[in-house]
Amino acid sequence: MTEAKFYEQTWDLQYKHALGETTSRFLEGLTQQKILGRRTTDGRVLVPARSYDDQTHMPTGEWVEVGNSGNIEMFTIVYEPFKGLPAPPYALAYVMLEGADTALVGYVKGLDLTNQSAAIEALKIGNHVKVCFAQSPNGTAADYWFELDPTT
Amino acid sequence: MMGNKPGVAVVASVTIAVASESTKSLEEMIFEASNSALNSLGLTAMDIDSFVLGGNDQIDGRVISIMPSTGPAGGVGKDTTMIASSADHALIYGYLRLLAGQGKNVLVMGWAKPSESVDPDRAELMSCEPFLLRQIGMNNTIAAALQASKLVSQGLETSNSTGKFAWPLGDRDLPARGDSVYALVLAVEGSFTPGEEIAWIEDAGWTTMSYELGSRDLIDFSALKIAIEQISNRTPHASPKNWDAIEIAGDSEFTVRSVSREIELKPGVEINKSGALADLPTSPFVSGLARMVMAINRIKHLPAGANMVAGIGFNGFAGQGAAVVVFSGSKGE
Amino acid sequence: MTLVNVGIIGFGQSKFVRTRVDVTFPELVREGAIMALEDAGISIDDVDAVVYPLAPDALIGVGNGERWVIDALGAVGKPFMRVNNGGATGMSAVLTAWTHIASGLFDVVLVAGADRVSESSSAQSVLNKMWDVGYERAMPLNTITMLALSAQRYMHLYNSDETDMAMVSVKNRYHASLNPNAHLQTTVTIEEVLASRTLAWPLKLMDACPASTGAAGLVLVSERYAKKNSLKPAWIRGLGQNSETYWMGNRVGPKAIGDHADADALAVAFQLAYDQAGVSNPREQIDVAEIYAPFSSVELHVIEAAGLADKGKSPAGLAKGDFTLGGNGVTVNPSGGTQCTNPIAVTGLVRVGEAVNQVLGRAGAHQVDGARVAIASAIGGDHQFYSTMVICSDLEEI
Repeated sequence: MTEAKFYEQTWDLQYKHALGETTSRFLEGLTQQKILGRRTTDGRVLVPARSYDDQTHMPTGEWVEVGNSGNIEMFTIVYEPFKGLPAPPYALAYVMLEGADTALVGYVKGLDLTNQSAAIEALKIGNHVKVCFAQSPNGTAADYWFELDPTT
Repeated sequence: MMGNKPGVAVVASVTIAVASESTKSLEEMIFEASNSALNSLGLTAMDIDSFVLGGNDQIDGRVISIMPSTGPAGGVGKDTTMIASSADHALIYGYLRLLAGQGKNVLVMGWAKPSESVDPDRAELMSCEPFLLRQIGMNNTIAAALQASKLVSQGLETSNSTGKFAWPLGDRDLPARGDSVYALVLAVEGSFTPGEEIAWIEDAGWTTMSYELGSRDLIDFSALKIAIEQISNRTPHASPKNWDAIEIAGDSEFTVRSVSREIELKPGVEINKSGALADLPTSPFVSGLARMVMAINRIKHLPAGANMVAGIGFNGFAGQGAAVVVFSGSKGE
Repeated sequence: MTLVNVGIIGFGQSKFVRTRVDVTFPELVREGAIMALEDAGISIDDVDAVVYPLAPDALIGVGNGERWVIDALGAVGKPFMRVNNGGATGMSAVLTAWTHIASGLFDVVLVAGADRVSESSSAQSVLNKMWDVGYERAMPLNTITMLALSAQRYMHLYNSDETDMAMVSVKNRYHASLNPNAHLQTTVTIEEVLASRTLAWPLKLMDACPASTGAAGLVLVSERYAKKNSLKPAWIRGLGQNSETYWMGNRVGPKAIGDHADADALAVAFQLAYDQAGVSNPREQIDVAEIYAPFSSVELHVIEAAGLADKGKSPAGLAKGDFTLGGNGVTVNPSGGTQCTNPIAVTGLVRVGEAVNQVLGRAGAHQVDGARVAIASAIGGDHQFYSTMVICSDLEEI
């Protein structure tokens, strides 16, 4: 049999996604060191802010600034490298900020991830974190992250 | 088949179509269209038994586009399916679900937001097979030009274009590109008050032909003819000679003009009264559904006694696939 | 709804592997179609319509790849459409085919396709693009991280640990070692699973599915066609689909409808299928379950969502030897499941086919003795889309 031949191809499609008012306002809020949510018709504060709630299928209303700290609801520590994603290890957590009814995802920085069991203990569900903001924000989700807040 | 097919009607129809939407996300547009359709019926998403969605990942820049779109469509907590071959097929599948007894209604949505693609033609290029065609370069416009050029060389068409795009296509030959979202609610007879329906679905036909452009005769319109034959065989009164109007999509006006040449139609049938391709913003994935919605909306404008309208769409290069849905203002014969 | 009877008369699948360098993608798809038709004992001319499963186009590198494979499927000139429900696609396509037949318009429908996940070297970064444009794309979310989060919640809520997940891996690899078509066919021990490298905690390499390449296909028929041709299909006795919120952050906290630890929306989908099939006591009435779980942790809550164990209790069952071939009660994933073989576009279809093989007594070394009633399920998106089926060898009361 002749040797297998291959053809290499890359998709390099570019997009310019319209964010809409709500997402734009949330991202702008990050530049002001604020985390913003919006309230649903059944009273829940969705964070990050969304213009409609997919569970009730209703538009959201009132803008709510939620607290800049909260508890870890779930986390993981990634060790495997994936093309196009950051070099591991890094920790990711969903955090329920004060006043929010849904959790916000973000990196957890500032802890030593090389000792896995210590890191798992430090990040365990219910532990408290605070939101940190970039010095020079650029209005993207990279403008915030979480750090452990052992004072509480 | 046990018993007669239950009648299936379109009871709500919403169109959002603009040249370019920069202030709302695609998901917000989907929410708006779904909400409008439901509000027009005094219903909420809770009242809908299932959802069928049609979107194109490459144009919109979403991977597995059913994920972000189910929520705004209203499908959370419900049976939701994405038909990804064409928004036309999404409508047809919604219709089949009701024929199959899967609930009393279904919300069908189709969309495309090419303004989010920096280069929508390039997105179309990705649907070329990677070995030969992608190197040569093909997209819907070029394929339409090939088809049109063959029509000219066979003497079936003349070319008087400005030659601006790809010979023989000129600027008025090509569909306008724009962002659009459609939402339709289909319902079975008996589940709504008679008179609430906008149109009945008489039947649908659809098929896809060979991928290789070189193995097809681009001007035999075989996909269209086979799709029509399915309808004529199964539902004779919905065959083309009874159509009072046609709304037909196409990658060029040459395709639109072909329907009256290739298919035996009723004398005086209206074709694309809703507007020429160049005047109505669309995108290939959703263009057939767009015309099906226009067909539905044409019915109330037709003179009394005339009320059968066909919506026709194509998918793939040079109409590789065709879908036809026949609507009427009154059920049955 | 009075269920229309639809049967399955043919199933074919590849021996799944990491890569196939001997075929183009359409050639691979063609294998799926041919295997299904051969097993059904029919030709493509007998087929009235074709439904094609294909999840992200980006993984095979051709947009609207269904158009490219139409000739390979033998679908030229037939009614044809493609389904994309993410990971659930293979089963959603089968359910779409069910609808085609139940509509009364078609008697014989082919569902066939393939995947070659490893052909895309960037699969997980492709899958990163399934997240919300404004918010979550900037996060390194993909299928592995989203399931790591779910696994972690389960461990937290139910006082479970990595050994519980490892038991699933051990069971599935054992089953797969008896399945000549499975991708991963070597057995593993708990110690080996626990020692395998962490991908995203708590998920380790041996908790995870492989990126598989191969093809599969099924042929569905109407009851009148089966009777007319004296066929003995496996019958679809129930089906259900349900969707959950897209936002993982909505699945935690006191106001959540369902916790990310559980698969409550899947339980709803199962209940729809059970109600149609007349299954009121799944632990007694079901013989075998082919339930989509790409990672060991997922299987824990899918077993529970299927009603085969109480919430948080599937580890205890596993520890006793339940769910394993030769063990007590329902056998779960005797084929090795998605964890041992995951050709994304058709993985849901393979679940159905394996269930069909079980109730028709054709499953060879991984046959569950006397299997008559099987369930199959699939999951798409970030635990967002669920498809379920109840399959039986006959039309009698279950």
